[in-house]
Amino acid sequence: MQKLTRPIMASALALAVVIALAACGSSNSSSTSSSAAASSSKTTSSSTTSNGTTATVVIGTFPQSLDPSIDFTTQGGEVHWLTYLGPYSFAHASGTAGTQIIPSVATTMPTVSDGGKTYAFTIRKGLTYSNGAPVKASDLTFGIERALKLGWSAASFLTSTIQGAAAYSKGTAKTVSGITTNDATGQTTIHLVSPYGAFLDILAVPGVSYMPAATTPMKPEPNSPPVGFGPYVIKNVQNNVGYDLALNPSYAKQAIPGIPAGHLNIHFSIQSNTTTEASMVLNNQADVFDWGDTIPPSLIQQVSGLSDRFKAVQTNKTFYWFLNVTEKPFSSQLAREAVMIATDRPALARLGSGALVPGCYLLPPQMTGHPTGPCPYGIDPNSTPDVAKAKQLVQQSGMAGQAVTVWAENRQPRLEWAENYAATLNAIGFKATLKTIADADYFSTIETLKNHPQTGFADWQQDFPNPTDFYQNLVDGNAIVPIGNSNYEEVNDPHIQSVLKSLYPVPASQIATVASQWQALDTYVSQKAYVVPYGYLSSPEFVSNKINFGAIVFSPLEGNDFSSLQFK
Amino acid sequence: MSATGSTPASVIEESLPQEGWPAAGEDVPPGIGPYRLAWRRLRRNKVALAFGGLFLVIVILCLLAPVYAKHVAHTGPNTENVDTALNQFGVPLGPTWHAKYFLGADNVGRDVAVRLLYGGRNSLEIGFEATLITIVLATLLGVLSGYFRGPLDGFISRAFEVIWPYPVYLLGIVLGVVLEISGLDLGLFKIGGSSLLITALVIGVIYTPYVGKAIRGQVLGLREREFIDAARQQGLGNMRIMYEEVLPNVASTIIVFIPLVLANAILTEAGLSFLGAGVRPPNPSWGTMISEGINLLPSAIHTMLVPGIMLVLCVLGINVFGDGVRDALDPRAKIRIDH
Repeated sequence: MQKLTRPIMASALALAVVIALAACGSSNSSSTSSSAAASSSKTTSSSTTSNGTTATVVIGTFPQSLDPSIDFTTQGGEVHWLTYLGPYSFAHASGTAGTQIIPSVATTMPTVSDGGKTYAFTIRKGLTYSNGAPVKASDLTFGIERALKLGWSAASFLTSTIQGAAAYSKGTAKTVSGITTNDATGQTTIHLVSPYGAFLDILAVPGVSYMPAATTPMKPEPNSPPVGFGPYVIKNVQNNVGYDLALNPSYAKQAIPGIPAGHLNIHFSIQSNTTTEASMVLNNQADVFDWGDTIPPSLIQQVSGLSDRFKAVQTNKTFYWFLNVTEKPFSSQLAREAVMIATDRPALARLGSGALVPGCYLLPPQMTGHPTGPCPYGIDPNSTPDVAKAKQLVQQSGMAGQAVTVWAENRQPRLEWAENYAATLNAIGFKATLKTIADADYFSTIETLKNHPQTGFADWQQDFPNPTDFYQNLVDGNAIVPIGNSNYEEVNDPHIQSVLKSLYPVPASQIATVASQWQALDTYVSQKAYVVPYGYLSSPEFVSNKINFGAIVFSPLEGNDFSSLQFK
Repeated sequence: MSATGSTPASVIEESLPQEGWPAAGEDVPPGIGPYRLAWRRLRRNKVALAFGGLFLVIVILCLLAPVYAKHVAHTGPNTENVDTALNQFGVPLGPTWHAKYFLGADNVGRDVAVRLLYGGRNSLEIGFEATLITIVLATLLGVLSGYFRGPLDGFISRAFEVIWPYPVYLLGIVLGVVLEISGLDLGLFKIGGSSLLITALVIGVIYTPYVGKAIRGQVLGLREREFIDAARQQGLGNMRIMYEEVLPNVASTIIVFIPLVLANAILTEAGLSFLGAGVRPPNPSWGTMISEGINLLPSAIHTMLVPGIMLVLCVLGINVFGDGVRDALDPRAKIRIDH
């Protein structure tokens, strides 16, 4: 129990201190945020300022895992594409050039045969991991098997494509039979179950990578990630606090063309309060702002005026509400339509610091297959919604008064979006309550199928420039899995399955020829309102004044390319 | 006493209040009871009364929240007006000093003044409920353990000692998060995870040892007194002795603890809500409002400052009034240095 001193003087002094701190707008990096204690917002004590060789990146959420065989998040991807190279990689370039695939460990682009079911390539000779062990062709088989064994969040990319991967994943096979390798020659051949047009993109995704089979344990290693091959190595992992990317000293002399060695070591520091995160970069206490976060409303006007340090980059990222179709009220088409109509997209755009472009389709505007027609049900995403019409639909559906739990990530502005969404659901006749989850645990919670989340926040950043990336993970019935499930709506629509079956095999190079079919499918999904997209967020490229802004490569897939960071 | 006959400079340890014995030199009319005496003393303490009045005003204002929301602000505590109350970058309106948005808007366009009052209702409700839980549990357990001693005392004391060493907020966060997920099912009744009672229960249980140990200590002394012996000699049962003899003698202790526990409960609720383990959004409380306002510190300081000032005034009012109550019940029970 607190002891009482002279309460008036003490309280007055306390109040004065609070006011003084508030007025000074302290950006103390150890300030706590509104996250629940499960998600720490401490920074490491060692370096929140940069020195001549180390740049500091502040990120809002610790990656799902620093083990590449588990993680499939933007925070993990931006690290893993520099530390665990696979046979192919996306080009280290800004803009559309950054979506091109280049050979990485493989010497050349693959030879595709057997009607698109066989991919063959040879790996470069003489490559070594960061520990000096040689990179072998069979290490790719091991890397893929490890990803399947440890429950990689994008495992459906592998189990639905490679022969034997599904059986291995279920434990009924000892190896993935569809991959054959020759360590002496470096030859690798992968046989698919059926033609899959985006398979080359899969081979370029971080997570499909080489790891030394002889020394890498077949168990999760989040705090001591496995050895890999790339410009950087991961070090000093402190869960929910930070980690380092150290330059791989052996990479420079064996650098892959198009995948340069880095210039600076990188220190990652977790700061879950976005205002503090942005303030740190603004005040040059940190060097790079997490591209996966939003500059908060309180600072966006100030930051956006700094053209030599800030740019809003349009990346293909869709934000949406998922509606679980397996239970009431969203088992009703009318109820889902009501939500689609009532969602206040302009309001959500304001809450997103004005960085959200309102929209109503799952595929983002720069993705092939984004419909060009107007939104369904007469929705104008830039106008106030017709709440009265939505209310009527809810009444007609017979679902008025149904309890709805809105799952929300405890992070700005996602929490504000979710609060607005819950208020919208209440306004149209449901009884909505918020269930907030700490940001570090949110996706792993809603990805657990047995939780059956009813509705809530979700987003998807493109992993490769093909609509398959969105559909295979988010609305394909085959993607429903007990753990790591991204089909939160649990939708298994026969029409969608039938169309996807015809679209998946189309080679990536011919994607434009089926653009109209993707558009029709995306329009169908919006009409069915399995998901309620509300906008596409531009990503902030925001750095301190110490960083050479002009030299930064901002990949449309992986964000800031840390290997391009240089001090002025 | 020193050789010079004066009491040396020392800290005189605070003792629990006795039975309102008059202070030295105090002029007391004959036949006046201890509580009436205490009331006389309290009435003379203008500062305590003023701060008590401040607290009362805050309570009344918060109780009138629905009236203010309906007839003055014309909006509810969770009604968002994003299009009118936020600019295109999401920065909220500042105080207008008019009926609408008197104290400005918050991060999602809600009226801060309305949320302040509704938040006060929630914070005060949790504070009072937690205080009630603490006082009831602490009195029950303290009296039982102090009176019966033996294995029962051992069990209850060990239970206190398990809870006591934990930092209050750490324990509160753990319990709050767990119970928020699963709720509380006590067989006869069930409390949903989002109920304010969960937070009140958590805080009430956490502070029980602080009060329970003090009451136990006092009861340990009382049970050896002659009037307790006399009651036993008269054949009164233990329950009756505790109710008729022991409880009235610890009543003043309990009364002194009430404002102290209330102040701490309100502060703890604010802290837990700030950390996301108390009142859940979108429901307002002063703690959640401060937490939401921190993100707007550079551009909309009112969102954090207003609930913070309200919290300070409320706790200050209770603390000063509680000081006055303590002084009134036992003016000799002071922490002081004598020279």
